[in-house]
Amino acid sequence: MTRSPQDEFLLNAYLDGELDPIDATHFEERLGADATLSARVEALRALRVALRSDLAEDVPSPEFRRRIMSKVSPVPRVNRNSWLALAASFLVGAVLAGATTFGALNYRAGDDVAAEIVSAHIRALMAPQPIDVASSDHHTVKPWFNGKLAFAPTVVDLGAQDFPLVGGRIDVVKGVPVASLVYSHGKHLISLTEMSDTGGEPEPLERHLEQGYLALSWSEAGVTYWAVSDAASNELENFVALFRAATAGP
Amino acid sequence: MPHLVDAFRLARWIAGSRADAEDIVQEASMRAFKNIRGFSGGNPRAWVLTIVRNTSYSWLTQNRPKVLVLSEDLDQRTRETIEQEDPQTPETALIAKLDAQQVRKAMASLPVPFREVLVLREIHDLDYRTIAEVAALPIGTVMSRLARARSMLAAAILAGPL
Repeated sequence: MTRSPQDEFLLNAYLDGELDPIDATHFEERLGADATLSARVEALRALRVALRSDLAEDVPSPEFRRRIMSKVSPVPRVNRNSWLALAASFLVGAVLAGATTFGALNYRAGDDVAAEIVSAHIRALMAPQPIDVASSDHHTVKPWFNGKLAFAPTVVDLGAQDFPLVGGRIDVVKGVPVASLVYSHGKHLISLTEMSDTGGEPEPLERHLEQGYLALSWSEAGVTYWAVSDAASNELENFVALFRAATAGP
Repeated sequence: MPHLVDAFRLARWIAGSRADAEDIVQEASMRAFKNIRGFSGGNPRAWVLTIVRNTSYSWLTQNRPKVLVLSEDLDQRTRETIEQEDPQTPETALIAKLDAQQVRKAMASLPVPFREVLVLREIHDLDYRTIAEVAALPIGTVMSRLARARSMLAAAILAGPL
């Protein structure tokens, strides 16, 4: 008995469980009466078993998984299976930030730089990745800024103090490109922006509250630093203290 | 990224190599992450696979144009080839030749549009409706491509060395 193309489609649909119960029953009756057809079904079943067991070996390498996780999740190695949740939390954060904007603007009217720094931080969180260069190695991040900025930012490694470097990006503040480093702490990201202000006086630590984010600024050795994060304020202060200790001259 | 293994397997079999699959999945992850707001509920696995599938095609168009064969004429040929096929396919011979290496080689020889539906069906265990959604095909085409893909695969395995 020869098979028509319709038979072949029917046979495949039967095998895939896509026939409705009545058609499936009819087909099974035919199978019982047609040895060629039932041999074909058996062959395709065997083919399926082979495909499923042989091709299931293809899994991404652990190294590749890590690479993807560090790209799509701004917080490497933390919560690696929940970037969806993470992305959602960024959206929620942006909405909350938007809701508090009105009050914050009244509170800090005139503090333009703080607003721009915090906006850059928020925008970075909303982007697919908060960084233009992803690396936990300060020897990679620092040279990346070469040729992109008029000054060389200070990049320190605070991984041992639980503030691992995530990478860096260029922000634009007051129309001038500046260096922003991104550190992580738990689930929080910290943007540390460095701006050259040659000749500027050293300034002590100042606190700014902007759109619900805490920003800390200080100036030393001709560079103004801004650290901004949604981390708890003592954690951000701790980070700034560590950063300043690491950059202080011997 | 959830469904990373699923994403990798689909890209690996559409593109044909692990190295290309890594590039594709990386790009697809970025797209998925960027378009997370475009996900409007429904089946997240199908959503991820759709992005991987589309990324695979655009990536192949750009980097491996020869891998892609125009699928329009393939569907016409599907029907014709099944009609001409020898009804006396040696089924027992096929079963005897099913070993991992043969299967993988035969899979690699299938044109992409056929390999793709077969992978979505057998590796990802999707039903016809979801395959139609992911591959942007009418259900009838999913059905005929699957049937054809299996015939071609069986023929390729039989043609291989014992």
